[in-house]
Amino acid sequence: MTAYIIRRLIFLVFVLFGVSILIFGLLSTFSPERRAAAYVTTPQQAENIPLIIKEYGLDKPIYVQYGKWVQQVAKGNLGWSLVAARPVAQAFWNYFPTTLELNLFASPIVVILGIWLGTMAGVHRDSVFDHGTRIAAIVGWSLPTFLFALILLMVFYGYFNLFPPGILSSELSLWVANDPTEFIRYTGMYTIDGMLNGRFDITLNALSHLVLPVITQVIVVVALLMRVMRSGMIEEMSKDYIITAQAKGADFKTIYTKHAKPNALIPVITVAGQLVALSMEGSIAVEVVFNRQGMGWWLAESATQLDMPVLMCVCMFAGLVFVISNLIIDIMYAYIDPRIRLH
Amino acid sequence: MKRIIVALACVFVCASFAFAASPKDTFVFESYGTVRTLDPACAYDNVSHQRIMNIYESLIFFDGSATDKFAPVLATEVPTVKNGGIRDGGKTYEFKIRKGVKFHNGNDLTAEDVAYSLKRHMIVDQEGGPMWMMLEAVAGVPSTRKDGKIIDGIFEKIDKSVEVKGDSVIIHLPQPFPPLIAVLAYSYGGVIIDKEWTVENGGWDGNIANAAKYNGPAFGSEPLQKIVNGTGPYKMLKWAPSNEFIFQRNENYWGEKPELKTAIVRYNKEWSSRKLALQNGDADRVIVDAQYLADVENMDNVKLFSVPQLSVTGAMFCQKINPEANPNIGSGKLDGEGIPTDFFSDIHVRRAFMHAFDRALYSEDVWNNQVVIPTTPNAKGLPYYKEEPVYAYDLEKAAEEMKQAWDGKVWEKGFKMVITHNTGNAQREAAALMLAENIMSLNPKFKIEVRNVDWKDYTIAYRKFMYPIFIIGWGADYPDPDNFLTTFMTSTGVYGKFMSYKNPEVDKLAKSARFEIDSEKRREAYYRLQDIWYEDAPGLMIYQKVDHFVYRANIDGFVPHPMLDHEWESFKLLKKN
Repeated sequence: MTAYIIRRLIFLVFVLFGVSILIFGLLSTFSPERRAAAYVTTPQQAENIPLIIKEYGLDKPIYVQYGKWVQQVAKGNLGWSLVAARPVAQAFWNYFPTTLELNLFASPIVVILGIWLGTMAGVHRDSVFDHGTRIAAIVGWSLPTFLFALILLMVFYGYFNLFPPGILSSELSLWVANDPTEFIRYTGMYTIDGMLNGRFDITLNALSHLVLPVITQVIVVVALLMRVMRSGMIEEMSKDYIITAQAKGADFKTIYTKHAKPNALIPVITVAGQLVALSMEGSIAVEVVFNRQGMGWWLAESATQLDMPVLMCVCMFAGLVFVISNLIIDIMYAYIDPRIRLH
Repeated sequence: MKRIIVALACVFVCASFAFAASPKDTFVFESYGTVRTLDPACAYDNVSHQRIMNIYESLIFFDGSATDKFAPVLATEVPTVKNGGIRDGGKTYEFKIRKGVKFHNGNDLTAEDVAYSLKRHMIVDQEGGPMWMMLEAVAGVPSTRKDGKIIDGIFEKIDKSVEVKGDSVIIHLPQPFPPLIAVLAYSYGGVIIDKEWTVENGGWDGNIANAAKYNGPAFGSEPLQKIVNGTGPYKMLKWAPSNEFIFQRNENYWGEKPELKTAIVRYNKEWSSRKLALQNGDADRVIVDAQYLADVENMDNVKLFSVPQLSVTGAMFCQKINPEANPNIGSGKLDGEGIPTDFFSDIHVRRAFMHAFDRALYSEDVWNNQVVIPTTPNAKGLPYYKEEPVYAYDLEKAAEEMKQAWDGKVWEKGFKMVITHNTGNAQREAAALMLAENIMSLNPKFKIEVRNVDWKDYTIAYRKFMYPIFIIGWGADYPDPDNFLTTFMTSTGVYGKFMSYKNPEVDKLAKSARFEIDSEKRREAYYRLQDIWYEDAPGLMIYQKVDHFVYRANIDGFVPHPMLDHEWESFKLLKKN
């Protein structure tokens, strides 16, 4: 197992190298002028495009530019984010905790709810519950996230003045800014930092800002997981070993929880792992509507403005997350299914 | 379990209600602009300007809403010819520096700080930065570099141009530059920083021999990018990029103490979310784009101010289009399937397009009559503004002009071309569509397609002469006709050169007016330039931007100014009732 993990981690280096070449190559298909325009915000500044190209060597051969980038990364310099007005590494730690915080609350709910609803729908196939969850899944999956988020915002915040957008209320945000020594940002996540600093009012306030984004994230993502779990359960429940168990007189709940469910979980783990990994890149719709600038917002803004250092960094981060999530999925396979051995 | 869930829900609801409205002594402004830098030498956008001008101060600032009157800030008086502050035929400016002013770190403001600031900003001269204005005035060139190399003796020139004499700072110019006062009033050159603090933080060390080391820093590497120390009414408490910027009142401010203790500028890109924040009182002001104006017009407890800006947009005719792989001109010939590269060099074509624009309908349909339709690039509100005649909307006249164009060949053969506008700008799209439809209605052989292009691609393409007509805007760097008429009309102007418009009289007039101190002579020159715009019809002015400032009803103190767009907010003037 250890050798397997080490091998996969070595493999990670090659994946990141491949991703960096691919993204760099893709971005280099844009003309030097287009890339220089990333530094331009006004027509006045556009006058300097030729000079910007020279200064940043955007007209040099692609291998020279890539070599220069690798050299800088090796020195720990990921570049400057024009969008964030900060070094890329620093900007990453500004935005990542916001996305992580949302997923920290949304992902467990997605996984638990998805598995439970899928199991129930599979076990009670063609029942009212099954049909109900199917409709909910279709609606959840097909409803545009942006629209769903807006509806929630208008109903709860617009009509009831509840669950405001943003990350923290103005008053508490001011208090934190005024006393940075009193309130230490250990994790960059107010819900966690509030507890670590003994300020539960901050934790609660941050949680109230998380309610609508979490609901949106859960409703949109849970549908797929639920359907996969349902299919898995239906398939497992029709297998011979279930009939054998039934013949031996095992009670129904034991059959589907102890026998069918673990086997049905294998594809679910794959999907759940991928969903969680994907959500680490952030959701542009959730972040924009609920005014929580995280990885999704950063990536989208950087893509539209062709902020190359950010695109390189975020794509490599995505590669890293996917490799690690796949590794975790493989390890979980071995844990759940004794037939699988990792070599 | 149920009890726990209910209890948690109650707590969330309470936590949510507890801090519903913005605190009494705090002003919350929700906007979608992002700050690039806080270094006054490098900041060249309105968002950064807003932050900088609440923290730092300049020698002078605009007096109320006027664009040609100024009030002293860190100077004790505005230099004029009358008070002897401007002399030597407009080549010497003297600023008497205010005493008793302290920077946020407690250091005293001195004349030495002022001289250092003016020199330092010009020495830094970041690529794409705003220092071209000061450099034009002081050194007669727009940059400290030419072809990527530092111009010989440029720093010495800068050094000698700014002098400290007792409590005064004197600026020597190689030739008169009347817009200098207006340039110094904005943040593009006139912001005063603390010399000692700047040097401590890695800024220019004050030795002119070392200036080259501090010249042209890469984006983000300017030393004052994220740190501040001004004399202004507010200090920076926190800057979380694309999240929030918090200002805290400077309790030792030399001037009248601002009423608001804190101000938060919060990033919020989504209009629905901003609207609800305004409605619920969580924000005291939000940015409202023109298309959402109707949403707030009937909202309770809000005030709306519509302020015409010194920012004009027009459709520019390119008289020498690039023929290389250019899909916008079809065959590139006057054969009914394209246009020749010099299609717009014929004034009849240009006049036909001018007559095909229905200003009244455009104003009503697109702007709900909440707009100024300018007649020339010299925006309404600028000095020496002149109301020029317009080419009235008249399709018969447009057809007559087209019949005369290119010896009648245009009418006989027809043409095919593309009008482009930048993606997401509905007002420009509407203007392009109106022009296209009206021109096509003249003759079935006229075919015009309207396309949208991403703004950055658009910027690159018009600079390569790819568009027969490019629709573009210009916002003031300083409130002077020079900044507009030179830009749009001269053969070397930022837009003039990409229109390939060349009129020797224009070039001569614009140059002489820029350096003319006799206001009557300037007036004559700028009036003539505006007349020429009408006569030559090099472009069609479409609209002058109007920005909307929407506040909660309990906020007073807003002073509108056409130079200061909707990203602007001066917290020291505001009062919250």
